[in-house]
Amino acid sequence: MSAYSDNMEQAISHIKQQTILMQRSLTQKKLMDALKHCSDMLKELRNPDLSPKLYYELYIIIFDSLSILSQYLVENHPTRHHLADLYELVQYTGNILPRLYLMLTVGVSFMQTKDCPAEEVLKDMIEMCRGVQHPIRGLFLRYYLSQRTKQSLTSDISLDKKFDIQFIITNFIEMNKLWVRLQHQGPLRERDLRTKERKELQILIGSNLVRLSQILDDSFALYRDEVLPQILEQVIQCRDVVSQTYLLDVICQVFPDEFHLGTLSQLLDTTLKLNPDVVINKVVLSLIARLNGFWDRQDDPNAIIQNLNHLKLDSNTDEEEHSADDGESTAEKLDSEPVSRNKFDLFFVFWKYLTKITEERPDLPLHEIIPLVHSIMLLSLKWYPSNLSNVDILYKFCWEKYQDFGKDIPEECEQSFKELFIYPLSTDNFYEIITTCDSFQKLLSVQSITLQKSIINSILDKMVETNTKITDKQHLDKLGAICEPIISVPNNKPKTSILTVSDDLDSELTFFNPEQEKLAKLVHLIYHKNVDINTELLLICKKWYYNGGKQLRFTYPALITAFWKLIRKLHFKSLKRPERKEDYNAKIKQLFKYVSRCNTDLFNVCGLSISDLIFKLNLQTAAIADQLTLSEISYDFFSQAFTIFEESLSDSKVQFQALVNMAQVLQKTRSLYNDEGYYDTLITRCTLHGSKLLKKTDQCRAVYLCSHLWWATELTLIGEEEGVTKNFFREGKRVLECLQRSLRVADSIMDNVQSCQLMVEILGSCCYYFIHGDESETHVGVKYIAGLVELIQANLKGLQLEESGEVQDFTAPSQTIVIGCDGSYICKTLSSSTCMVSSKIPNVRIPDLIAVPVSYFERTLEYIENQKQVDYRFNAITT
Amino acid sequence: MLLLALSDAHIPERAIDVPLKFRKLLNVPNKIQQVTLLGNCTKSASFLKFVNTISENIVFVRGEFDPATVSTTKNPAEEMPLSTVISQGPFRIGCCNGYTLVPKNDPLSLLTLARQLDVDILLWGGTHNVEAYTLEGKFFINPGSCTGAFSTDWVQEDVEENYKTSEQQEPAEASTNGSNQQPKEIKEEIKEPSNNDSEKSGEDKADIIEDKGNSEEHLQEGKEYEHDSSDDEFDDIDINGGGIPSFCLLDIQDITCTLYIYTYVDNEIKVDKVVYRKD
Repeated sequence: MSAYSDNMEQAISHIKQQTILMQRSLTQKKLMDALKHCSDMLKELRNPDLSPKLYYELYIIIFDSLSILSQYLVENHPTRHHLADLYELVQYTGNILPRLYLMLTVGVSFMQTKDCPAEEVLKDMIEMCRGVQHPIRGLFLRYYLSQRTKQSLTSDISLDKKFDIQFIITNFIEMNKLWVRLQHQGPLRERDLRTKERKELQILIGSNLVRLSQILDDSFALYRDEVLPQILEQVIQCRDVVSQTYLLDVICQVFPDEFHLGTLSQLLDTTLKLNPDVVINKVVLSLIARLNGFWDRQDDPNAIIQNLNHLKLDSNTDEEEHSADDGESTAEKLDSEPVSRNKFDLFFVFWKYLTKITEERPDLPLHEIIPLVHSIMLLSLKWYPSNLSNVDILYKFCWEKYQDFGKDIPEECEQSFKELFIYPLSTDNFYEIITTCDSFQKLLSVQSITLQKSIINSILDKMVETNTKITDKQHLDKLGAICEPIISVPNNKPKTSILTVSDDLDSELTFFNPEQEKLAKLVHLIYHKNVDINTELLLICKKWYYNGGKQLRFTYPALITAFWKLIRKLHFKSLKRPERKEDYNAKIKQLFKYVSRCNTDLFNVCGLSISDLIFKLNLQTAAIADQLTLSEISYDFFSQAFTIFEESLSDSKVQFQALVNMAQVLQKTRSLYNDEGYYDTLITRCTLHGSKLLKKTDQCRAVYLCSHLWWATELTLIGEEEGVTKNFFREGKRVLECLQRSLRVADSIMDNVQSCQLMVEILGSCCYYFIHGDESETHVGVKYIAGLVELIQANLKGLQLEESGEVQDFTAPSQTIVIGCDGSYICKTLSSSTCMVSSKIPNVRIPDLIAVPVSYFERTLEYIENQKQVDYRFNAITT
Repeated sequence: MLLLALSDAHIPERAIDVPLKFRKLLNVPNKIQQVTLLGNCTKSASFLKFVNTISENIVFVRGEFDPATVSTTKNPAEEMPLSTVISQGPFRIGCCNGYTLVPKNDPLSLLTLARQLDVDILLWGGTHNVEAYTLEGKFFINPGSCTGAFSTDWVQEDVEENYKTSEQQEPAEASTNGSNQQPKEIKEEIKEPSNNDSEKSGEDKADIIEDKGNSEEHLQEGKEYEHDSSDDEFDDIDINGGGIPSFCLLDIQDITCTLYIYTYVDNEIKVDKVVYRKD
């Protein structure tokens, strides 16, 4: 008999050839010849140089060939031969490997017949398999046994279930041993290759467990008492990393969820006894993933919790002892938690495990513990979503661990910690978790600033996204503590110089700050239907934000808005219940004080850089107070605005815009016309400031706009109507005075274009008043307008003379320019649809510049002409 | 071409964000050619990012709460103008927040400004109240606040009235009270200048397509009046001064400008259409 072939091609063709010969012998009923051919092809499996992959290929072909033989054997028993005899006969085959394959083939065929002492044959076969101790050969041989017996073990002539199971377990144990031994074959430097090959073979071992699971069906007691202990013992004893990792994973995967629930502590205890190199959290994670999947698949998950108690009671008494052993240490830890622990609480099982593992394995690195905690948290949030003390315990545990490890936290932990914080945010009760779990904040606060900020940002995003209202003081305080790192800015810049101008400028330029934006949005989530409580919440928030230093300018405006809203709410209430008006008014006044306090804080902390903002906040607050007829308060805020205007607004452009804005707000007030003469004081001062602005063009515009302060107009929003409402505040004489003064300034301006432009603007104002009332009221009459028109015409003539004196550059393209409401030149860009806006005189042709007031004047005249058709009084104006 | 007008977002100091449905609706890159921000829109990085995805061609004017300068791709500290002009086809479109306009929101003042800027269409903001009308052949559009932000203006009379009347009415009637409301002004009707004398002065070219049954019932909806509790819930829209989230989209084709007014009422978007033609 020849030995095995040198290469795969030869081996395969040899096997195929022998298979054909075997088949031929079988059709000729020459069984002995057939057996000879079989034994011949089986020799190929003796090749020790084949890699597992190639070996498997050969195995598959041979398996098929032997199936043909097996079928023949069964069909012809006992007519042509007796399988018991054959079983004896094949034992005389020369080589051990072919001999055993043939034995197994015959033996299994024999078992399919009725008169077979199946148990004995099985026992004999498995005993014989010990004869092959070469890992790969042995593994495949036993795999062959397991594959062949699969059918007979599940068929109806089946034996005792217990025996079957024992048979499979025995085979499994032996296979695992061989598998582990494979690791130690060959030279040391090929270890990695070995490990790779082993992983290719793992399915052979795993298939046994799959078979077990199929046979067991739903007999839990058998699993718990017979199967699992034996398997786990083998897992522990083999002390092999690859094997332990793989097998525990397979156990988690193949057996039913209910089984796992009943044997949790056994499984978990096993993980404590593993080779230290095994990554425990992988095992636990797959177990928990399994349990969570189970939860998801249930129609009524809550029923499981009920059943769980039942299951646990069924479970072995061994566990009772366990909990008695460990009970003390864990109970001690849990004592501090105000939760009564159900011993059949799934979380409790894992928690117990967690404490145990950290006691028994103090060497376990942090980056392995954290994922473990993370997976337990997944479990808790899935099974006991409302029991947040579980989560808190876990965070606390991490925090303690963190303390133990001291400062040297490896970087790889960062990601695990991050997941630990981020995961709860995806659950429905994330808000409860972050606000009620004290340890969440505690643990977060010891993380690196970058991580903290990233978590805080996620929290704030989530809050805004889900529109989670903050209604509780404790919650707000907790959030404040969590957000502390982005609220407080380390303000440790030593002030060596009194000149902080550059510093202010910097902060002015960086006006975007996404984090502060989120903090500001948080204010809008604070809500309580009770105004007093809501106020209190806002004050707490204010207190937190006060630590922000210059960041106040991002957050305080939002707070002020929140106070405004409360004020308006109280106003509605007092409308609804006039009998309680006084009570509400007292509260409103208090709220205005808070607004004022915010403004003061802003001013003190942020200083000049945002005085324009504070000015406007004061104005708007004054307007709100006025709308509630709180003239005192309104006056106070207006005077605050004046103070800021006088002391802190220095840029001339800012001054002009601020002053005109103030005129706009003042013009809409209604409550200030009292005996104290508040309105008069304020508008006179406003106009005075207008007339004292730096640039004459600004003076001119400010003053003609201030003329409106003596001419109240209808507020349609509150139902006033021109001609119906009688008591508008109007003093035509003063209006005219303003216009005259404005005109004088315009006339004195050196720049002819601006001067003419301003005069046309004043003409526009005159038309406004002319439309608004009779000359007897407005004092702006036909004569005045006609005079103004004449003056403008004369000035424009002068302007055009200037044009003719200029050397013309006709090559430059003509451009349309207009002057905006603040005197800036709005000049169309050639390339796009937009305009360049600049306060400087643009570099264009002089005629284009002169055309600005000319065409504006023409448009105004055209307007006056048009008005003649609807208002006869206009006819008196000759143009 | 399509021009989007947004105003008074006031994020984050007064509002959290533009309603999600608005954001989804506007999430159509390369459809809208130009966006105008009519003031109080520059405090939020996320909002500006959102606007940038709509179109990179952004025109902005300063509102009272905007910083004096804004950082753009061209200039890290570009000055924000008070008013500016856009040319689109035959139309000149003026943009202004109007916070330096005295008297505020006055049609005649706006008309004077439109004349000064020599524009056919004037976009303005600052009132948090959407409206559109023609006057003297010019088209005036205020897109309102795109977030429905709190307004410090006078609260609309009907809102206040509502709270007053509920005092006198039986609780049962109070809850149905809202439906009797005057429709809040999405002023489809052509508003004349307030002065009696110039009442017929407008030569109105606008073809108005009204969406009837558009009156809003959001006030006092399902609200039960409880005599003994002082902690009633109040509608946020009322507290904010009556303004609802809104924005405008201008479709300019030749001499026709079609204005679409989008409002957000009771979690639904409503669209109104107004057509304006240049003579």
